[in-house]
Amino acid sequence: MIEVTDLSKRYGDTLAVDRLTFRVRPGRVTGFLGPNGAGKSTTMRLALGLDTPTAGSVTIGGRRYRALRAPLREVGSLLDAGAVHPGRRARDHLRWLAVSNGIDGGRVDEVLETVGLAAAGHRRVGGFSLGMRQRLGIAAALLGDPPVLMLDEPVNGLDTEGIRWVRGLLRQHAAEGRTVLLSSHLMSEMQLTADHLVVIGRGRLVADTPIDDLIERNSRPLTRVRTPDGDALGPVLARAGATVEASGDTWEVAGLSAEDVGTLAARHGVVLHELTPRRSSLEDVYTALTGTSVEFRGERRAS
Amino acid sequence: MRRERLGVLRRAVAAEAVKATTARSLAWTFVAFAAVTPVMAVFVGLTGSLQPDDTVLGGSLTAAPAAQLVAAAFGAVVVTGEYSTGTARTTFAALPRRETVLAAKALVVGASVFVAGLASAGAALAIGSVLLAGDGYAPGDPFPALIGVAAGLAALAVLGVAVGAVLRHSAGAIAAVVGVALVPPLVAPVLGDAQRWVAGASPTSALEKMTQTSDAAPEVVGSLGAWPSLAVVAGYTALCVAAAGALLQARDV
Repeated sequence: MIEVTDLSKRYGDTLAVDRLTFRVRPGRVTGFLGPNGAGKSTTMRLALGLDTPTAGSVTIGGRRYRALRAPLREVGSLLDAGAVHPGRRARDHLRWLAVSNGIDGGRVDEVLETVGLAAAGHRRVGGFSLGMRQRLGIAAALLGDPPVLMLDEPVNGLDTEGIRWVRGLLRQHAAEGRTVLLSSHLMSEMQLTADHLVVIGRGRLVADTPIDDLIERNSRPLTRVRTPDGDALGPVLARAGATVEASGDTWEVAGLSAEDVGTLAARHGVVLHELTPRRSSLEDVYTALTGTSVEFRGERRAS
Repeated sequence: MRRERLGVLRRAVAAEAVKATTARSLAWTFVAFAAVTPVMAVFVGLTGSLQPDDTVLGGSLTAAPAAQLVAAAFGAVVVTGEYSTGTARTTFAALPRRETVLAAKALVVGASVFVAGLASAGAALAIGSVLLAGDGYAPGDPFPALIGVAAGLAALAVLGVAVGAVLRHSAGAIAAVVGVALVPPLVAPVLGDAQRWVAGASPTSALEKMTQTSDAAPEVVGSLGAWPSLAVVAGYTALCVAAAGALLQARDV
């Protein structure tokens, strides 16, 4: 369990994190979302004791990170896959990490195997692709077999197969009862991987909710309609309060469910060639949410 | 509690030892450090380019101050290299006790430079003794001076670690620590009575006095003896390490 309590961090004039409070519970994958500069990476740096909070605290399993004696056995983290000495071999990078936390040297080969770098362990990291560096960073996070994983954009630079692999790995860790916090700007990926979402905007909490609830509560009914008789259907839908976005004879009807559109069309004798209910994607909901948070902040500033 | 801290320090030292030996750039800097004194001893020995009143020990260790500057750069880059590559974040996530990490770096750098410095000074002396035999130079007194030379090399390397941790930037840190080594003997002659202390506090001066070379004239290196000079250098190095440790604790990575 990661507990963020009233956390604030100020850099000069910028309040990067503003009284943030949320919990990351074990047994599920928690997605950490927010626009660039929202404070996700800062929050993670504060959690890992790299930066000191201006106010508030982050505890992991009830303890502050900097109080941990062998933190790699408690929290596996990946902040920046580029943060590796390019002149060092991948194996040696993991070896010094293992030594630093009293982790058995055999784990080095195990995690290299897990992330698919067994054959590249003897190569210097400078020659690695971004995807390989991500895999090495994930290997470092897994090294201490920790009950908590905290990964910042772990799928950056990975190919489709790699992205699927990370998804499976994180789902598996959550299923084992571990705590998994994952930030990503790939909404479709987040929708497939995360069970729960923490959304922040400008350093503040915007939402902390199960992903399905978030989408359900914040989505507007959307229906795709194809009709040869647009002139007749258009005014009917408009009177019912729907907004229509047309591209050719295919319309996206917002504000009415498929049932409503079908009923209206039948009542007015309009022929439909397609009637498809559409669910808002996480991306739609996220854009709406963070857009609101930005506006909200703007108003506060003005007052 | 105490025992636990020692355990963390032991792990940190082991990790730093792996790091120092597995990064290519660090390894080359270290090789350069160890090679420069013996290689120079060969040149001095073959060309016999010594003052008539110089000692074999002093002539053999002509390049010891140069080696000391390379050692300082090595110590600095052990720390600043972590910042330029981003490894520092990984290091402090693995070992959140930052002053322990700094102590481990200082120990690994100090010990490795001391041992390699002793070996390379000994090798240089052996080379010089063979090549300069029968040329009529006074032999000089190598014991315990060689220990002092190795300690002087190690001290500046550790100072490099401390300055690297404060400045976090390779070029800046190397410039600063090389400045500490080279500037005092240049400015000391205009400082009157303070000259004895200012020049005496220079790490290169301490080393030259240790090698008993005729270059180590009091008007250049101060009238403080070799061992007191070394003690002064070791003293402010320890202070700098302590200050760097406190700064690391307080600062964001």
